[in-house]
Amino acid sequence: MLLDSQRWVQIEELFHRVVECDSTQRSVLLDEACNGDSELRREVEALLSFEACARDHVQAAIQTEIAGFDHSLAAGEVVSHYRILDGLGGGGMGLVYVAEDIKLGRRVALKFLPPESIKDPAALARFEREARAASALEHPNICPIYEFGEHEGQPFLVMQLLEGETLRELLEKRRTNASQSYSREKSGNAAAAPVNQVLDLAIQIADGLRAAHERGIIHRDIKPANIFVTSQGQAKILDFGLAKVASNDMGTTKLSEHHESSNGTVPQTGPSATPDPLLSRTGVAMGTAGYMSPEQARGEQLDIRTDLFSFGLVLYEMATGHRAFVGDTGPVLHAAILSQEPTPARELNPELPIKLGSIIGKALAKNREQRYQNTPEMRTDLEVLMREIAPRNRFRRWMFAAGAIAALLAGSMIFWFVSHVSTSSQRLPNIKLQQLTYNSPENPVRSGVISPDGRYLAYTDTKGIHIKLIRTGEIQNVPLAEGLKDGGTIWDLNGPAWFPDSKRFVVQSHPSSDAPDQQSVLTSSVWVVSILGDPPRKLRDQAIAWDVSPDGLWIAFTTNPGRVERFQGEREIWLMAADGSQAHKLFEGDPNTVVCCPHFFSEEHRLSYIISNGSGDTFVTRALNGGPVTMLFTPSDEKSMGEGTWLRGGKLLYSDPCDGAGIPPDAPCNFWMSRIDVRTGKVIEAPRRLTNWFGFAITGPSASADGKRVAFLETRDLGVSHVADIAMGRTQLVNVRRFMLEESRDDSVKDWTADGKTLIVEHLERDHYQISKQSLDGDMPESVVTGGTGGAERAIISPDGKWIILQVNTSKTDTVPFKTILPVMRVPIAGGTPEPIFTVREGAWIMCARPPSNLCVVAEATEDLKDMTVTAFDPVKGRGSELARFTLDEPPFQGELLSYLSPDGSRLAISRSPRGPIEIHSLRGQQTITIPTTGLDPLGYIKWSADGKGLFVSTHKQGVLEILHLDLRGKATVIWKCNQPWTCSANPSPDGRHLAIREVEQNANIFMMENF
Amino acid sequence: MHGISITHDVTQLLAQWANGDKRALEDLTPLVYKELRRLAASHLRKERKSHTLQPTALVHEAYLRLVGQNNPRWENRTHFYGVAARLMRQILVEHARRKQAIKRAARTVSLEHALSFHEERGRDLVALDNALTALEKLDPRKCKAIELRYFGGLSMDEVAQALEVSEVTARRDLRMAETWLHREMQSG
Repeated sequence: MLLDSQRWVQIEELFHRVVECDSTQRSVLLDEACNGDSELRREVEALLSFEACARDHVQAAIQTEIAGFDHSLAAGEVVSHYRILDGLGGGGMGLVYVAEDIKLGRRVALKFLPPESIKDPAALARFEREARAASALEHPNICPIYEFGEHEGQPFLVMQLLEGETLRELLEKRRTNASQSYSREKSGNAAAAPVNQVLDLAIQIADGLRAAHERGIIHRDIKPANIFVTSQGQAKILDFGLAKVASNDMGTTKLSEHHESSNGTVPQTGPSATPDPLLSRTGVAMGTAGYMSPEQARGEQLDIRTDLFSFGLVLYEMATGHRAFVGDTGPVLHAAILSQEPTPARELNPELPIKLGSIIGKALAKNREQRYQNTPEMRTDLEVLMREIAPRNRFRRWMFAAGAIAALLAGSMIFWFVSHVSTSSQRLPNIKLQQLTYNSPENPVRSGVISPDGRYLAYTDTKGIHIKLIRTGEIQNVPLAEGLKDGGTIWDLNGPAWFPDSKRFVVQSHPSSDAPDQQSVLTSSVWVVSILGDPPRKLRDQAIAWDVSPDGLWIAFTTNPGRVERFQGEREIWLMAADGSQAHKLFEGDPNTVVCCPHFFSEEHRLSYIISNGSGDTFVTRALNGGPVTMLFTPSDEKSMGEGTWLRGGKLLYSDPCDGAGIPPDAPCNFWMSRIDVRTGKVIEAPRRLTNWFGFAITGPSASADGKRVAFLETRDLGVSHVADIAMGRTQLVNVRRFMLEESRDDSVKDWTADGKTLIVEHLERDHYQISKQSLDGDMPESVVTGGTGGAERAIISPDGKWIILQVNTSKTDTVPFKTILPVMRVPIAGGTPEPIFTVREGAWIMCARPPSNLCVVAEATEDLKDMTVTAFDPVKGRGSELARFTLDEPPFQGELLSYLSPDGSRLAISRSPRGPIEIHSLRGQQTITIPTTGLDPLGYIKWSADGKGLFVSTHKQGVLEILHLDLRGKATVIWKCNQPWTCSANPSPDGRHLAIREVEQNANIFMMENF
Repeated sequence: MHGISITHDVTQLLAQWANGDKRALEDLTPLVYKELRRLAASHLRKERKSHTLQPTALVHEAYLRLVGQNNPRWENRTHFYGVAARLMRQILVEHARRKQAIKRAARTVSLEHALSFHEERGRDLVALDNALTALEKLDPRKCKAIELRYFGGLSMDEVAQALEVSEVTARRDLRMAETWLHREMQSG
């Protein structure tokens, strides 16, 4: 509002006149005074509407700040033996500070209890007892309380300082983000967390609750604000026992805690005009009241089932993004909890598994007898569901120099083995697999190494270094100075890394400012980390550490003393003492080779390492005191082997060479084991395959000393599909929603039925794939066919709607684009056995027109990759005649031919090179049209819009993949930016109304394998 | 010893300022600011259980400590309150902003569930401060009236005297200012 002073005076004068006159006269006065000056009138009226409570408002703004001010301690003040470092915030339950424990030198959280709580010393003592009892559980999902204290009459507790956020904050962020994002997700569930994340947290919360409930400790105030989620995704329940103190300070109740019955039932409140004391509180109380159980609202006796109800509400909110019960005032909320059924969770978020909906429903039964009766029961249901949907949510982005060089070097030797082993007849071990980390795609795990005693996992991610106690799941963050954490420094664990006593390990640092291709041993430093929580200690610069000798005295590292030649890799293997002293050279390669990956053999006093020159890798061993070099594999054994680790007795466990980002779903990636005499290089046991996995990368295996546990990094792309409505003449996407099948996240839309109402979807499991029909209205998917391995490159509907035609991938390791021959199969739309129709070269496109046309074609590159042929086919009769042949300007880009058949079967859109132009060739003798694509970046694929009047194409623009709509005159409109540059496909529906988009997310987490 | 000299300084500075010495104000401000902060901190620790601590009481106490009861010169008093009320506003707003910043930074985020309560109010104060700054540009006297009344704790007739207007005008100023501020805060 811009006002000049004259206007301001005018407004003020009239304002006072109106305020001071009799209220019945106001409008007359305004009419008269304004005399048609409508702006003046508007201003004055606006002011008048604020006049009544203006004073209170201004006063309140100042006063309440004072209330907050009046508890605060300043940084540097000392409370008991804690030095205040920083305030975290404050509120109804008191203030929280970050403080340093002067005695123990650790950082803690100091929480002052609300002033009211000290009014009843007995309640306070009870709280202390109970909180101590809960804390004594030492459960990873309960936030430990270290101490109780008093400062100037004000009680406080000292808790573990956690990094992360409360679930409440996480949910609110999600809600805020959801309401701000227009383009990506518009459905009502955008605020909900992904199902696997919901379940992961829920199981952790259930674990914490179970531990408490087993001791008869009831929380009474389970709600998102009382659940802390650490930055490693670990849930911690806060404030056990606090609820009782809080409810006691209302003065409306008389607690009779001294009469706690033996079964854990606690009389909560006596009869009272306000049965729920929390509801009588303003502001602060509402949050809590919304998570109360009916029996709590009625003031009845509480038992553990109360916590399970509240837990159900938390689960509901996580899964839907909405609170189950809302109300502006206490009584409304109260009534809702007592008598209203919340909107079924799956109505708010149709992506939820049915089973999760029923778990929530059962937890939220008004009648306690109909709920889960104990925590393990509920936990089991959650876990079963988790297992059904879980084993596929992990990926990662690959590491740098040391690791990458290792992969490169290790990467070329196993073909010799593979070719000698028949894999098909082998029985695979019944491997037990456990996911050890739950990092999100935003914070992928970089590396992880299991300790020799098998108890700990040391791992690194973008935040820093962490140590996980595998049995309990407790995660300890290695304290790092500023600049060494949160992305400032890259940390990587190579090789076995741990000392034999499982108390320390060596880790590499690297400045993240270097581009990946500049990262080398020259800027890499070796640090030693203790599991006792000390900060890492730097041992040496310009070195990469790999292994620690069996006596724990020596660290083997590789280095490159000042010679930067053909390879920027390391030339020499050195040893240094555990404190970094006494460094000395052990072996040196010749000037044109790189050495890496030294590993000690405990029984043999030998070291294995890899020597690499321009032509390949040589895997050797050598006695520590010198002597001849024994070759295990030579470059002539060529072909590759992924990364490996030695187990006891010369057993070598290694992976297929399948590291790296963007691994296709059909690429096999398995662990193998063989046994070798490390002195002679003789193979004692031929390699056997341990797993039957594909579609994700496995790298960096490490083993416990007994060889029973192997940890490895799994990197996986997960298909994520969206369906959007096409608007604005095909140039805009609206109402974009996540499209997900019931029990799997890894799905991709392959085609639409002719009516545009049903999608053909492929979803991938660890060892098989399934093609299903899924209606847009979200009915249960209907399975059409299940395949063993590989997945379907394409699955399209025949024009008559009777068949699904599959272009199948194989899981052969040696698939070569445009060379490997693959089958095209048909399967009845209602399901049945696939039958082969004909074969194509890898990289071909099969496509069908829509009725009334019945044309299907296959576009295929000729063997010399110089031409592309387009041949008609019929799902029953097989291949027909060649319709067209085009000379390609350059070999197909990224394995894709740029060709598509128009929906009416009359035209082909092709491009002879990724740079265009796109040509529209008529199959009915009409003139060819050329669409210029100048200014567009390389094309990924071409699809026709449903009406045949435009094309959807993908282009790579400066590393970003975009989907464009291109009209036949060449006018391009960007309609979608993909989240990563590898995979992003668009599938327009035949009715022209929708576009299905499939992209991938990448995630990386550590898994542990046993019983192999 | 130190205390006496400060009292003396402040009294003298107030007198110099009243006589038109602008530099006196520059010297005076940090003294008052420091005293207000110190008082706030010590008060708050002593009276932790109390929610009734008023900024106005702090300003008054600062006056008593810095100027003293034996210095009844009214000009001194209004000048002092004029400075102190502005500083009090600044201290409170700083505090509110700092709390918000801590919250935003969220390095180690609150273990506290009911945080948003004070958080909201902290926001209110910052909004009020912004609105006051806008008001000052529009009508400096009204801004002053608000400061003196709410941050300095002067009575209506004291506000009127300090602003050198009639009490009716002072009341009107406050009403208009409050209304305008409320509206500004709601819309901003």
